[in-house]
Amino acid sequence: MMLTRVADSLYWMGRYIERAEHVSRLSDVMLTASLDTSGDALLAARTVLGAVGETQIALEGKSAVDVAAALVLDRDDPGSVIVSLARARENARQVRDQITSEAWERLNLLFLRITAPKAAKQFDQAALPFLHEVISDLFLFKGAVDTTMSHGEGWRFLMLGIYLERAQLIVRLLDVCFGEAAGGEPLNDHLAQMNLLRMACALEPYLRVYTADIQPKLIQEFLLFNAEFPRSIQFATARIEEHLKALASPGLDQGSSAPDRLAGRLSARLRFADLEEMASQGASSLLATVNQDCARIHEAIYGAYVDYSLEHHLPG
Amino acid sequence: MTVGETQDQDSLFPLSAAYPIDRAYDEMYDRSHGVRDHYGPLQSRISTLGASELADRQRTLEQSFLLQGITFTVYGAGASTEQIIPTDLFPRIIPAAEWARIEAGLTQRLQALNLFLADIYGDQTILKDGVVPRDLVLGAPSYRREMQGLFVPHKAYANVCGSDLIRNEAGEFVVLEDNLRVPSGVSYMLANRDAAKRTFPGTYRSSGVRSVERYPDALLATLKSLASDWRSNPQVVVLTPGVYNSAYYEHAYLARLMGAPLVEGRDLVVHDNLVYMRTTTGLKRVDVIYRRVDDDFIDPLTFRRDSSLGVAGLFNAYRAGNVVIANAPGTGVADDKAVYAYVPAIIRYYLGQDAILNNVETYLCRETSQLDHVLGNLDKLVVKAVGASGGYGMLVGPHASAKEREDFAQQLKADPANYIAQPTIQLSTAPCLIDGAIEPRHVDLRPFILCGEKIVVTPGALTRVALKRGSLVVNSSQGGGSKDTWVLSDPRAQTQESPA
Repeated sequence: MMLTRVADSLYWMGRYIERAEHVSRLSDVMLTASLDTSGDALLAARTVLGAVGETQIALEGKSAVDVAAALVLDRDDPGSVIVSLARARENARQVRDQITSEAWERLNLLFLRITAPKAAKQFDQAALPFLHEVISDLFLFKGAVDTTMSHGEGWRFLMLGIYLERAQLIVRLLDVCFGEAAGGEPLNDHLAQMNLLRMACALEPYLRVYTADIQPKLIQEFLLFNAEFPRSIQFATARIEEHLKALASPGLDQGSSAPDRLAGRLSARLRFADLEEMASQGASSLLATVNQDCARIHEAIYGAYVDYSLEHHLPG
Repeated sequence: MTVGETQDQDSLFPLSAAYPIDRAYDEMYDRSHGVRDHYGPLQSRISTLGASELADRQRTLEQSFLLQGITFTVYGAGASTEQIIPTDLFPRIIPAAEWARIEAGLTQRLQALNLFLADIYGDQTILKDGVVPRDLVLGAPSYRREMQGLFVPHKAYANVCGSDLIRNEAGEFVVLEDNLRVPSGVSYMLANRDAAKRTFPGTYRSSGVRSVERYPDALLATLKSLASDWRSNPQVVVLTPGVYNSAYYEHAYLARLMGAPLVEGRDLVVHDNLVYMRTTTGLKRVDVIYRRVDDDFIDPLTFRRDSSLGVAGLFNAYRAGNVVIANAPGTGVADDKAVYAYVPAIIRYYLGQDAILNNVETYLCRETSQLDHVLGNLDKLVVKAVGASGGYGMLVGPHASAKEREDFAQQLKADPANYIAQPTIQLSTAPCLIDGAIEPRHVDLRPFILCGEKIVVTPGALTRVALKRGSLVVNSSQGGGSKDTWVLSDPRAQTQESPA
C-alpha cells in the first residue's frame, strides 16, 4: 500500500533515469565513432539522432561534440540528459521520504554536477570522461537503489519505469537500424553494427554468445530474444511481468486489460516468437507491436494504480 | 603562504583583543576574556586546529548539507539554484543546570498556554475574570470561532511548539516568542547534530552531550497519543504544502524518520466525514494529520476558499471527531504578539505560579499611554506587527534611518492595535567561523516542545545565528544561519540518559 502520487513519482523517476543513461551512452558512442573515419561518424550520428527521435538538430557543419553537447546539456530540449536528470531528481524530491538517503544522495550529486555552471566548460574540454562519469554515477544510483531500498511496492514501481522505458528505447534503436525508420536502408556496415551493439551496451555480452561474427539477424535475435541479457526486450518484458504480478491486486477487476495480463501476453509473445517468421515478415511489425503493448501497459498501470476512479473504492 | 596545519601562528584561536566583547553576553567568554568552563573542551580542540583545517571542516559540512538536499530553492532569472541555509561548525553549548531551568520554564509555559486555549475555546473564564482583554483575544485574526466548544484530545491544542528564547545582557534566558502554529527548524537541529558529530567527534564524545535523536520517535508517540482512545494503531500522516514550500525538506525528513506517509492535500479525500488517502490499493483511512499547512489553507470549505493546498471537508471530519489535526486549528491566538504580553498573567491564573522564564518587557501600542512612550522612543525600541512573523513587518529602531522611523511612526499611528514594541536587546553572542576568522555573532535559541498525553522537551535546540556583523535578526529569510546546540548532561546524573 502506498500513495498513488508516490507510485506515480517513483515510476517516472525510473523512466527518466533510464532515458538519461541511454542518451548519455548514445552520445558517448557517437563521440567515440567521430574519432574514426568521417563516414562512420556521420552514420553513428544519424543513428543516434534517429534513436532519440531528434529531428531538430541539423548535422551539417556541426562537430560531433556540438551535437553531443546539445543532447546532453540543452535545458530546452525535453529529451536531453540534463532535463531527464532534473525530472528524475524532481520526482525523487517528491518522494524523498520513500527512497533511501544513499540512493537520493547519488542522484542529487549527479544533478548538482550536471547543472553546475561549469558543466558546459567541462563537457567542452573533456566530453568523453564527462559522459563516462555520468553513466558510472547512474550505475551507482541503481546499485544504491538495489542494495539499500526494500524490494517492495515502491521499488517495483521504480523498476517498472526503468524496464518499460528500456524496452521502448531498445525497440526504437532497432527500428532506426532495421525497421521502418531505417527507410529501406538497414544497417549493414560492420563498424556501424558494432556501434549499434555499443549503444545498447551489448557488445561484450554479444561477443560471448556469437563470437565476433556480427550480423544484423543475430543482433536482432540478441536484442529481442536473449533471456539473459538485461537490455534485451525479452528480458525487460519478463521483468515487467514479474513486477506487475508481485504488486498487490488493485482491487479493481479490469479483466483482460489488467496490466499484469497485458504484460504476460507481451512477454509470452516474445518468448515464443519465431526468428524465421520475423525474418520473413520483417522486424517492423514485431517492433511496432512491442511498442504498442508497452504503451498499453503504461496506461493500464495508470488505470489500475494511479488514476483510478474513486467510486469503485468508497465504502458503500 | 605555507599551510602548517598545527603550527601556532596558523591557529585561529582568537587572542583577547581579536575577539571583541561588547555589551552582549558571550556564550563562550566571560567579560575578562576567560573561557567559560563548559566551553573548555571545545576551546582546547579548536586551538589545536589550524585555519585551513577549520576551513576544510566547514567546507565538508556545507558539502554534506548540499548533498543531502538540506536546501532551499532560490528562483532567479532563468535557472533556479539551490542554496543551503548557512551553517556554522562551532556548537553552542548549554550547561546542565541552565538547561534544567529552561526545561522547567518551557513545560510550565506550554501547560499554561494549552489551558488558556482550552479556556478560550471553552468557557472563557479568563476573559470573564478580566485577566486578558476580551477584544484582544476574540478580535485577533488567529482566533478561530469554528473551534468553539470542540473536543480536543487531552486538551492538547498545541502539540508541537518551538519557542524562541534569547539570552539578554545579564545572561538570563527570556522568552521572545511562543510559536504554536507550525513551527519549523527541527530538521536543522537534527542535521546540525549529525554534522557536529562528524566535525568534532572526540569533543562530542567527551563532553557528555545529551542526545536529540529521539525527537522523531517522540513526535510519533505524541501524535499517536492523540488518537489512542479510539484507534488501537492510528494511521499518522504528515501533510505538506508540497515540494515548492521552503520547509519541504523538513516535512519529508520527519515523515521518513517517523515512517509516516508524506501527503499533499490532493492525496486526501473526505467521504462521510471520514478522511482517506488515495493509495495504490484503494482508499485508506487516516486518523492523525500532522499538518505543516497554515490554518487558513487546510480546508477550502471552512477557511480560505482559494486554497488548493488543503482538503475539502477536512474540518467537518475534524469536528465530527473522526480525525485529529495537529496542531489544532486556532492555536495561533495563544502566540499572538499582543497576547504574549499577558503570558505571565496567564501562567499565574491557571497554575498559580510565577513564570520561570521571563518575558521580554513589552509595550502594547493599543494602550494610548504606551503608544506615546513607543513613539517617543522609536530609536531605542524594536516594533513588531502583531500578525507578522519571519522578521517581516518589523522596525529595529537603533538600526533604522530617521526616514524609516518616520515612515514607521505613520503606520503605527494609523493602526496602533496592530503593533507591539520591545526594548532592543543585545542577544548573546557565540563564536562563529566567518571568512576564515573566529568572530562573535548574535544568536537565539529555539527548543522544541511536544505535548500530547504528556509534555516532552527535547534536550537540544536550533541555535539561529545572525551572520551579519552586529545584526540582531536571526531569521533565515533575512540572512540568518544556524549551528548545533549541545545540552550537557548533569555529571551527577549520568545514568539518567541510559535506556530503561
